[in-house]
Amino acid sequence: MRDNRKIAGLPTPAGIGLRAPHLRDFLSARPPLGFLEVHAENYIGGGPALTALQSLRRDYPVSLHGVGVSLGSASGLDREHLRRFRALIDRTEPFLVSEHLAWSSADGVYLNDLLPLPYTEEALAIVALNIATAQEMLGRQILVENPSRYLAFRDSPIPETEFLSELHQRTGCGILCDVNNIFVTCTNLELDPEAYLAALPASAVGEIHLAGHSRVERGGLSILIDDHASVVSAPVWHLYRLAVEKFGRVPSLVEWDKNLPPFDTLLSEARIAEKIAQAMVDADA
Amino acid sequence: MLSLRELQTEFRRAILGQGETSVALRNAVAHDPFAEERLAIYRNNVLASLTAVLRDTFPVVCRLVDERFFAYAAHEFVCWRPPSRPALSEYGAAFPLFLGRFPPCRDLVYLSDVARLEWLLNEVANAPDQPPLPSDAIAGIVCKDAAELRLSLSSAYLESRWPVDRIWLANQADAPDETISLDAGGVFIEIFRRDGAAQFRSLPPAAFAFRKALASGAGLGQAIERALEKGDFVPREALAALFRDGLVLEVSLVKKDSLP
Repeated sequence: MRDNRKIAGLPTPAGIGLRAPHLRDFLSARPPLGFLEVHAENYIGGGPALTALQSLRRDYPVSLHGVGVSLGSASGLDREHLRRFRALIDRTEPFLVSEHLAWSSADGVYLNDLLPLPYTEEALAIVALNIATAQEMLGRQILVENPSRYLAFRDSPIPETEFLSELHQRTGCGILCDVNNIFVTCTNLELDPEAYLAALPASAVGEIHLAGHSRVERGGLSILIDDHASVVSAPVWHLYRLAVEKFGRVPSLVEWDKNLPPFDTLLSEARIAEKIAQAMVDADA
Repeated sequence: MLSLRELQTEFRRAILGQGETSVALRNAVAHDPFAEERLAIYRNNVLASLTAVLRDTFPVVCRLVDERFFAYAAHEFVCWRPPSRPALSEYGAAFPLFLGRFPPCRDLVYLSDVARLEWLLNEVANAPDQPPLPSDAIAGIVCKDAAELRLSLSSAYLESRWPVDRIWLANQADAPDETISLDAGGVFIEIFRRDGAAQFRSLPPAAFAFRKALASGAGLGQAIERALEKGDFVPREALAALFRDGLVLEVSLVKKDSLP
């Protein structure tokens, strides 16, 4: 049963991840779009980028997507970073704030990648505490995104979907369901993407992400890389249809970070997402 | 079995080390003939993304040494001084120093100063937006003997023995071919922001000494003394020019004994 009530008051059409090289195009064209999402860390220092974002904020709902909070760090969170993140929230009033089920910082070093966690009781307690701390310092609920993974740990007894559900139960956080990441992780680790999707708690999902991936060969290993450098692939659109069927018309976002295409290409990807979601609603009526 | 904290430390070492994976980490990763290749994907993501951050901040350095050498130098730098914070426009402050000491760059004597110029352009470009004070901001301030005026500026200052301004300009995408003589002499450069973009210009030695002293936290009296050592200098005009250029963000009174 689809639950469309939870999106009351939220933008339902699709949005795009706005990156600096597209900013000028975007400021002049201001195309109709559900919302914009930006990486919080690119605006946290203030400056002209933030001024431009605040100008766009007058026309679009904004979602802040964190990539550096490192919710999975066993050494705790960088409180100064969270204070700056909070100041950015106060200035941009986002309708969504999200982060990842991953870690990026260890021993005071920030590694700028979403590194994998073993899914153990120990990790669950650590991540739950970090999410609770983040939500308290940011003054709001956050959504936590399933990551793309390239390796598994020997001792990792809890399935990722169960780990996310448990975090939702313990902290009240929502879930950001990245269907491309589901496809990448499940392909790389030989799991079933549709079973993964079915196991997510529908009522917790507050946003869906879409992006492109690529296949690379590394020393005899053939693996999918979540590089956000191309159009969304057919199997990921298929998963998106299933996701909309299960989660309803939650805000959906197309991300593109490398080899940026002309701005129109990104917009037409968002239009496809919108069409799919609309078809679901029409079929329902 | 490793604790999560130990696991993350091992992982960090594997990524920033010399390609060595510890036995403890190898045991923690699921048994798989491609475990090393899988770890290498993360190592590559980290190094490639941080190299891209440095390339965005130091494009002229990258052009001067070529892309491949830049990637090598960036890799060495990232392992030596990785970021401590996720706001990456603030990463790379130590890269100019690193380049100055990096043996393969020994012959490129100006490289470190070109990197300093690019770092300051990056810092000024990304500084928080703050409107400058109007020129009458210091009109009403009464300065007593024990106190001095301190002006905080939005600009930055760079002195170099090399013509780094001309080197920078000659290495922009649309610049015509130009041969720059390293004997052209030193430069005194001011970096400032106008219309949302960082720019630079060269200043006469006295004006440079005055503004640089203020920017490094000296009091107004101290800054004037330093400027007068460099030659012709009219304090009142220099002060008016500072406001006219829109560089003054704050004016405060400080005790003389707290000045540097």
